[in-house]
Amino acid sequence: MQSEQFYYDNKTVKLFAYATILWGVVGMLVGLLAAIQIYLPAANFNLPITTFGRVRPLHTNAVIFAFVGNGIFMGVYYSLQRLCKARTFSDTLSKIHFWGWQLIIVAAALTLLAGYTTGKEYAELEWPIDIAITLIWVVFGINMFGTILKRRESHLYVAIWFYIATWVTVAMLHIVNSFEIPVTFLKSYSWYAGVQDALVQWWYGHNAVAFFLTTPYLGIMYYFLPKAANRPVYSYRLSIIHFWALIFIYIWAGPHHLLYTALPDWAQSLGVVFSVMLIAPSWGGMLNGLFTLRGAWDKVREDPILKFMVVAITCYGMATFEGPLLSLKNVNAISHFTDWTIAHVHVGALGWNGFLTFGILYWIIPKIFNTPLYSTKLASTHFWIGTIGIVLYAIPMYWAGFTQAMMWKQFTEDGTLKFQFLETVTHIIPLYVARSIGGLLYLVGVFIMVYNIVKTVKAGKLVANEAAEAPPLPAKIVTHGKQYWHRWIEARPIQMLVLSLVAVAIGGILEIVPTFLVKSNVPTIAAVKPYTPLELHGRDIYVREGCYTCHSQMIRPFRDEVARYGEYSKAGEFVYDHPFQWGSKRTGPDLARIGGKYPDSWHYNHMLEPQSMSPGSIMPSYPWLLDDAIDTATTAARIRAMQTLGVPYEKGYDQIANKELMAQAEKISKNLKADKIETAPNKEIIAMIAYLQRIGVDIKGSQPVTAKQ
Amino acid sequence: MSKNGSIQSTTLVCYHCGETCRDTDIQAHDKHFCCEGCKMVYEILNEHGMCAYYDLNQNPGQSQKIMIRSDKFAFLEDISIQQSLISFKDEQHTHISFYLPQMHCSSCLWLLEQLYKLKEGVISCKVNFERKEADIVFDHRLMSLRQLAELLTGIGYEPYISYHDLGKKKPVADRKKIFRLGVAGFCFANIMLMSFPEYLGIDDREGQLLIFFRYLNLVLSLPVFFYSAGEFYSSAWTALKQKFLNIDAPIVLAIWVTFARSLYEVFTGTGSGYFDSMTGIVFFMLAGRVLQDRTHRQLNFDRDYTSYFPVAVTRIKDELSSTVTLPDICLNDTLLIHHQELIPADGIITRGRALIDYSFVTGETLPVAKEMGEIVYAGGKQVGGNIEVLVIKEVAQSYLTRLWNKDVFKNGANNENSFVHGLSRWFTWVVFAVAIAAGAYWFWQDESRSWNAITAVLIIACPCALLLSNTFTNGNILRILSRNHFYLRHATVIEKLADIDTIVFDKTGTLTAGTEMEVVYDGKPITPQIRKKIATLAAQSTHPLSKGIAAWAGQPLKDPFLAFEEFPGKGIEGMVDGDLIALGSALFITGRTQNDEASVVYLSVEGKLLGRFRFRNHYRQSVPMLLRQLQERFYVAVVSGDNDGELPYLRKLLGLRSELYFNQQPEDKLEVLKSMQQEGKKVMMIGDGLNDSGALKQADVGVAITDNSNNFTPASDAIIEAGSLPQLYQFIRLCRFNRTIVMAAFVISILYNITGLFFAVQGTLSPMIAAILMPCSSISILLITFGLSNLASRKLKLA
Amino acid sequence: MSVIILLLIASISVAGLFLGAFIWSVKTGQYDDEESPSVRMLFDQHPNKK
Repeated sequence: MQSEQFYYDNKTVKLFAYATILWGVVGMLVGLLAAIQIYLPAANFNLPITTFGRVRPLHTNAVIFAFVGNGIFMGVYYSLQRLCKARTFSDTLSKIHFWGWQLIIVAAALTLLAGYTTGKEYAELEWPIDIAITLIWVVFGINMFGTILKRRESHLYVAIWFYIATWVTVAMLHIVNSFEIPVTFLKSYSWYAGVQDALVQWWYGHNAVAFFLTTPYLGIMYYFLPKAANRPVYSYRLSIIHFWALIFIYIWAGPHHLLYTALPDWAQSLGVVFSVMLIAPSWGGMLNGLFTLRGAWDKVREDPILKFMVVAITCYGMATFEGPLLSLKNVNAISHFTDWTIAHVHVGALGWNGFLTFGILYWIIPKIFNTPLYSTKLASTHFWIGTIGIVLYAIPMYWAGFTQAMMWKQFTEDGTLKFQFLETVTHIIPLYVARSIGGLLYLVGVFIMVYNIVKTVKAGKLVANEAAEAPPLPAKIVTHGKQYWHRWIEARPIQMLVLSLVAVAIGGILEIVPTFLVKSNVPTIAAVKPYTPLELHGRDIYVREGCYTCHSQMIRPFRDEVARYGEYSKAGEFVYDHPFQWGSKRTGPDLARIGGKYPDSWHYNHMLEPQSMSPGSIMPSYPWLLDDAIDTATTAARIRAMQTLGVPYEKGYDQIANKELMAQAEKISKNLKADKIETAPNKEIIAMIAYLQRIGVDIKGSQPVTAKQ
Repeated sequence: MSKNGSIQSTTLVCYHCGETCRDTDIQAHDKHFCCEGCKMVYEILNEHGMCAYYDLNQNPGQSQKIMIRSDKFAFLEDISIQQSLISFKDEQHTHISFYLPQMHCSSCLWLLEQLYKLKEGVISCKVNFERKEADIVFDHRLMSLRQLAELLTGIGYEPYISYHDLGKKKPVADRKKIFRLGVAGFCFANIMLMSFPEYLGIDDREGQLLIFFRYLNLVLSLPVFFYSAGEFYSSAWTALKQKFLNIDAPIVLAIWVTFARSLYEVFTGTGSGYFDSMTGIVFFMLAGRVLQDRTHRQLNFDRDYTSYFPVAVTRIKDELSSTVTLPDICLNDTLLIHHQELIPADGIITRGRALIDYSFVTGETLPVAKEMGEIVYAGGKQVGGNIEVLVIKEVAQSYLTRLWNKDVFKNGANNENSFVHGLSRWFTWVVFAVAIAAGAYWFWQDESRSWNAITAVLIIACPCALLLSNTFTNGNILRILSRNHFYLRHATVIEKLADIDTIVFDKTGTLTAGTEMEVVYDGKPITPQIRKKIATLAAQSTHPLSKGIAAWAGQPLKDPFLAFEEFPGKGIEGMVDGDLIALGSALFITGRTQNDEASVVYLSVEGKLLGRFRFRNHYRQSVPMLLRQLQERFYVAVVSGDNDGELPYLRKLLGLRSELYFNQQPEDKLEVLKSMQQEGKKVMMIGDGLNDSGALKQADVGVAITDNSNNFTPASDAIIEAGSLPQLYQFIRLCRFNRTIVMAAFVISILYNITGLFFAVQGTLSPMIAAILMPCSSISILLITFGLSNLASRKLKLA
Repeated sequence: MSVIILLLIASISVAGLFLGAFIWSVKTGQYDDEESPSVRMLFDQHPNKK
């Protein structure tokens, strides 16, 4: 018998499955904590590390890169081997990949809680971790392409294409967005400034969603759905078209995250158009998934795995329909900065990613442990609780979103704003409570799953190496002598992909240098000056505490926003912002024009106890800012870094920076003293105040306030 | 997927193929089988522990009733034959791809791709479902090609190897259009992207960005202009060479003008050009073409007689038999023709009694008996035992071959006669007129703008809309038709179908289902016992009429006491458990000749005449309905190679005004159609056998009918599955809708053109407007065509 | 907005990459049979287990 015998590696699959579950629980717990903190600020236990600004990034990173990330690897390592009829390329690399990724996650958790963050959403991790991620990703790549190369099945099933796309694109996105200049071992500044930083960030941000939360899961769907339903996908041709259409369009949808911002119009509209075009391929995929089950609904009724998958796919459909909707300018005008966005992403995360993952877990674990699932009934219970959880989560958030937006935009007859910002917050707190209950339910479901799976694992025994056999690929036949110049390319598609990616990366880097040598042609405003050393420190603290998770710094040219916050933001104001801090959510008010609005003492007290200044505020207090001293040791380094990035501090300024810093600090502490507040000038609170008082003052009154409607 | 249960159900069905089992004692592992063949397949699989085959789908196999004779594949031993069949061979491995008509379900795929488990030597087997082919690699040191073929046959997938496969390599699929489409799509998407700053106005501060974008667009448009658009260049050029201005000509013009002007604008920095519109329209038009040309890979529209002939036959030379390929058969060879084998060349019977089924060549239902010394013609199938034939004409000279090689079989269909070309020509002249007018006007008013106006007009008014609506409609209608199992060879057939006013049917196999017949007994009642005995006796003869009677009579006796004699051309007589029973012609039974229509068999028991069996063609149920329906709207005729036994019945169906032709030789059929066409009729011919192939070719639309699309059909413009015959009229109506839809879509798109022209003639056509108009018109055309054609199909109650 | 150039280059090269992959896959007949693969992936062959 010439057929080759070989073994599928289930051990790695098992590890990733466990990791998925573990980090899933952690990520969701943290999420729950954050959700509670929103209406119960005290839930931060008055500890810096458990304060919302640090917990929220941890939550997003944990669920995206730890939960879904491991889920992806679980699915890929299981399906790729079988689709290629070959064992994973290298067990060693598998080990490195697994442990490396878990290490990264742990490091991420620690650094984020410790407040080391780049301040760019979904890319908060600091530069050493960024590098680690790149390396591990390459390891994953080698393993994946290696497996594809030594496959025994000539046809690359559509799922594999989705995996390839994921790998290539994520690699590029990560590299491009992570250009940053290290200041200290765990602190760096984004290479890009202001508007440009924003554009890169959301180009990345959106595509991270696209290529980390969508394409790999689509690939996984195209494998596990037919498997679970034991029937071929509805239309294979459609799936192929689905893939190529998605790939050619997705990359461009990014800018829709910046509508009405200081981003140039054409870039915004570009994002809109491509987002809208995305509906077609996305729904193509969804329908293909659902139609696969047509005629098998009886199966769906009794099989929880299929139930999970059906809901997952439906949620995918809803999210991909809502996405383009949200990217329409007039819809976005309402939805942006509100909880609508939160609802939107959670329909995707809880429904699409979460449920698909659960479905796959329920399918894979019994398979690799060679035993039936401990309890189908429990799985169904999980399904129902989870579904209710999603509903209880989404509806209140949509509601909150609308309410917020409506209240923000309401004027009285005499043309003044109807509601104080604080009112708009306190008004929707019940909805926040409901949301956290929904989250809780969802989490309960997960615990049920954990129990169910533990039982299953106990009952069975891992088939670490699953025997399989397949005939080898027939040697390439040189058909009709015609030799193409690219013959060898055809023979090595995968190397080509890798090579060209490298080429792209290099090309990108070469491309980037000149763009920063040439004076950036963002409209600069003479009045806008670099931050003083003290303000710079303050800004870094602002980033560290994750203020951007609740406060935007971007006033859109709407009547209400201008009336509420002041002159709308100009691109030129942000030329020295590394990174930009526009934010994406207004749990608290916008701060783009906060400077000079209140006396220093107000800020001091507000930081110490927000409720004292604005009763009913849900902002946590930051007492530690009063005790901790400014890290003046790194001032010089920070200034030098900024100089490298083209911020015009005069030569040698880094030497005198600390002197100027103290001088300014003294002034502020004097102001405070005037209001009977005793603080040493070297406390972080001083820097914070300095920064807050500086935001948006440069161009105040420099031109008349005008508002577009 | 795999439902069990009906296995235990009362009527015994074959575990392998699911047919009801005639007798109950063919079993293995308490599973029942309809025949030894099925049982054997099961045993092979069972022995290799591959019975999962039966779990994937219920009774996945195909009936193995017709036994394949052991030495059928002996010819595969012949090196020269091997050479011409295999696709690749090195010192140990041989690659070959077989056509396996039996392949039909996932079980087949599962089983075939594990062929290596069944036999040492098979290395791999890859199934192509769409083409029903299996690419097999095997180690020729361990097994021979013949063994491979026999292995496949053994598990129920007999490879179909025909004369046609000799030497002919599979044509490599032409994927050029797809590439062009891909490239165009890529460039279009990116150019559109890069054009956004233009559309939405960009800050002057970002001027150099704008330049960058423009040049990037220029670069991206090159592959489209030089590669993707080549599609239209070539077709326009070939048409022009035939002094024919087809729709592609004006399109090419428009593309060139657009490109030229865009280049000018970019280089002079006066504008951004129309790269987006140009690439866009090329992309859409290519998409339309690709959609329209999606052929049914699994079907073959141009089979000639060679697809029916065996690769080789057995030649007997001085008492030694050897296989010989058809081309090598020469005069005076003696060929051994086996039961169920096709006679490859005209010859004289030198041994054995021939019973030859010409239904395929001539359309006669009943096989004809031939005695030693009589001539048999190529294409006939021997159905009674083995015979030897002395070749009197080589294959190339034989009757059927000559018939085939007539010129009419060669003329390639001309696809250029679509009405859109005429329309586009008319359209083009109008456009030119407008362009010149506009140009002239501006020449007096403001010379600088005249050139601008002319080019703009030419750009805006290219008939691409027409092409789009045409291709998309065609594509969709083709899809709808094939959904209903009516497959057209090419989009141009749609228009031909629309013009049909005359429909000519073949009888045997078209109006009647295959060659099966209804047996009608009239005479004195027969006791069950006698019936059994009749069955027993009839079963002894290979004559189709006897077979028919046997089938009619049902269960034969178990181990009867039996003595019989068969009188060729007369009948059969025998003692069955003590009863003297005779079946045969009137003369044979009664001693007197009777003049009754077609085919009748008389029955006598103990010398007493009991009654007679009449054999009638078995018409498809739908036929009467269909004929009546068509009669009202078309001129219907029947042209049959069979005798006129059915004339009365058909008269009754078709009435007097329709022509009925019988005993028609293939050429006659062809002539009939010719004469009809000379009367200016547009004729559709529907037939099945080779005997119709001439007519099918001659007809304006030749439709081959088949009981399932994998069966063989002679060359034709369309293939229809028998089940869909009732809908024939709806199909034709749908095709008639085609033109209406195209026109509708075209008119709509004209509106866009006019809007564009409005700006163009003023010389103020901005890229923005062009860029909006282009996709809008294209998309709306797309929607209209799909919408209307689907609507039409729903209205006609098509699937 | 000089950075847009970077994004463009990066994105277009990746898109180009996939165009290449597309052409490769069509050329090597990856999509010649759009039916079998979806069925084939349903079967996992294990060495003769009854």
